Amino acid sequence: MRNLLTGIAVLVFMAGTSPGGTITRVDEPTTLVFLTWKPNQSKGWNHLLQEFDEKHPHIRIKTQVAPHSSTQYHAIVTQRLKNRDASLDLFLMDVVWPPEFGNAGWALDLTSRFPVREQRKFLSGPITANIWQGRIYGIPCYLGAGLFYYRKDLLNKYGFEVPRTWNEMLTAGKAVLQGEDDPGLYIYSGQFKQYEGLVCDMLEFIWSNGGAVIDRKSDQVVLDKQASIGAVAFVRDKIIGKAAPRGAVNYEEPESLGLFIQGKAVFHRNWPYAWALSNDPERSKIAGRVGVAVLPAFQGHHSASTLGGWQFGINRYSRHPEEAWKFIEFMSSRQSQKILALESGLAPTRASVYEDPEIQKMMPYLNAFFPAFKKARPRPLSPVYPMVSQELQRFFSRAIAEKDSDLREMAKTTSVNIERLLQLVSKIQR
Amino acid sequence: MTRKDNIFFLILLAPALFILLLFIAAPIGQSLFLSFHRLILSLPQLGSPFLGLENYKDLLHDPVARHSLWITLIFVCAATFFELLIGVLLALLMHHHFPGRGMLRACVLIPWAVPTVVSAQMWRFLLNDAYGMANYVIFGAHTTEYIPWLALPSTALLSLIVADVWKTSSFAALLILAGLQVIPEELYLASRVDGAGVWQRFWRITWPLIRPALMVALLFRTIDAFRVFDLAFVMTQGGPADATNVLQFYGYKKMFVEGWMGYGSAISVCIFVMVLILAVFYVRMVGHRLLEASG
Repeated sequence: MRNLLTGIAVLVFMAGTSPGGTITRVDEPTTLVFLTWKPNQSKGWNHLLQEFDEKHPHIRIKTQVAPHSSTQYHAIVTQRLKNRDASLDLFLMDVVWPPEFGNAGWALDLTSRFPVREQRKFLSGPITANIWQGRIYGIPCYLGAGLFYYRKDLLNKYGFEVPRTWNEMLTAGKAVLQGEDDPGLYIYSGQFKQYEGLVCDMLEFIWSNGGAVIDRKSDQVVLDKQASIGAVAFVRDKIIGKAAPRGAVNYEEPESLGLFIQGKAVFHRNWPYAWALSNDPERSKIAGRVGVAVLPAFQGHHSASTLGGWQFGINRYSRHPEEAWKFIEFMSSRQSQKILALESGLAPTRASVYEDPEIQKMMPYLNAFFPAFKKARPRPLSPVYPMVSQELQRFFSRAIAEKDSDLREMAKTTSVNIERLLQLVSKIQR
Repeated sequence: MTRKDNIFFLILLAPALFILLLFIAAPIGQSLFLSFHRLILSLPQLGSPFLGLENYKDLLHDPVARHSLWITLIFVCAATFFELLIGVLLALLMHHHFPGRGMLRACVLIPWAVPTVVSAQMWRFLLNDAYGMANYVIFGAHTTEYIPWLALPSTALLSLIVADVWKTSSFAALLILAGLQVIPEELYLASRVDGAGVWQRFWRITWPLIRPALMVALLFRTIDAFRVFDLAFVMTQGGPADATNVLQFYGYKKMFVEGWMGYGSAISVCIFVMVLILAVFYVRMVGHRLLEASG
């Protein structure tokens, strides 16, 4: 008995010290922990996870589910990454995080595995969003962009074209409301709660008026210029409590979509996922009566969509980066993106998938999304984006929640605060 | 007590002391340490230089923090006041002898037993602008009158207060009920003999004698209300227009959303100090009153 115990102890010891621990690894698969969220439509995800399991018997993927809300997922994943939690291998990143995750040393630098030649096969917007100081930290999984949904039937009934400007939207909406005589019907439904989505919606108004938070050429904060303030004033004076219900100040995506699919809004701003839901007869009262287009702009300016979507990243402290890379390489392959598109309704990030005959046949509406996707603009790319976003959320929410808010003064304060944050970053770039 | 006994007692106390040190003193110490440094998670290149009191100085001049403090104070005062008021009424009712009293006592405690996250979610649904029960009860089918409670800065804070009062009044009632039960029945009998009416009996006997219990309830409720976080997290996320951005939630956002550890810690430390001052003040006062009552 004693000999047996000694023998086991020696074996265990040897297994622990042998190079690479090969003795135990022969039949024991490597387990990778993948922090994900509960998808809106899980079919494609489950399909891919199962296929990966079959193709890679030596790698097991263990999924952990975090909240789908970007801010809350961020709070959880950054806590684990800052603690260098090696029990986490793979995670998802919202499109605004890679500079932060790269600069903080949380996400593994993927530049050698994902060279420019490969990057070119993807749409340029999401690729740019994954780069920080010339290195790439994530692989785009799927893409999002603000889209303009409208009630085809109502526009036809009252003889209106799809509005190209915000004012045309108000005119058409008012005519529809008058004709329909339904006190519960609104012109517009969007996301205006004090959270990340508010920044996305408001930037679309600002950009489509020629404004911006940070000017693309001069890198100056231009939030307090007339083009930006004018767009914010439009939302405060013409949208909140008028075209959209006042309650929209507390709406995230689900509440605003709820209003639309209950048939209580003529126009609706949302991400691509809303297309499938608003055309699902089981959940939507307006299935088959929905159209989609690029968002309106202000007179004389171009339409603008905020870039959204999620990326795959690898924990820099993962013990299995090779296996983790195999997983994201598989998940972002052409074939996998096709499955995610067909079975989970997610918009591909590889340009070639859009030309795939099966995709063209099954998802013809992607053609309508494509112009918005190609032009979608990123939110400011910065490692301190979460702080910038908090400043913007505060400004926008105060601007639209209070009728007589002094926009110029508030925009100035916010600009100063954002400039101060960006200075912190420029300190490390020198 | 011999020396040996002392050592033995210390050994018995050690596990509890150790746990207190590990889970209370250590985190407070760490927050204090962080609050003197500039530590930004996403900018490790800046290191974590010692700043002295700069975070606190910034906090003093931070209009958002001042606004948050103001909101927190309104919340604390309003919530505590109504919780004690309703608590006294509930306690008097529960103290009364009537059929079904046991049932009532059990029912009153239900809101308190529900986790705050759940009750906050429930209130969020009740106060919904389109299908909320609150609007239906007030306005019936007049849907155009419906108030978006959580979308207006003024009513959003009010909603948080209502949710808190609903949930914790019963806790205050429980403490006050305990105070009611130790009042000797003879006092009431004697006062009746002397011809005292209901009001006189309440103001002359009940009120002075439940005051110590009331003070304890006040202590617990103020301190608890000061730390409000979950209601804001679930119901409003601090919005709209920062109207429900209570201090604790502001600190959470600085630390866990923005990764600004030093500044966020400074906020936590400030809350800690304020609660500490309150606690010391109350405990002294309650102790004093208790002595007075028993003397």
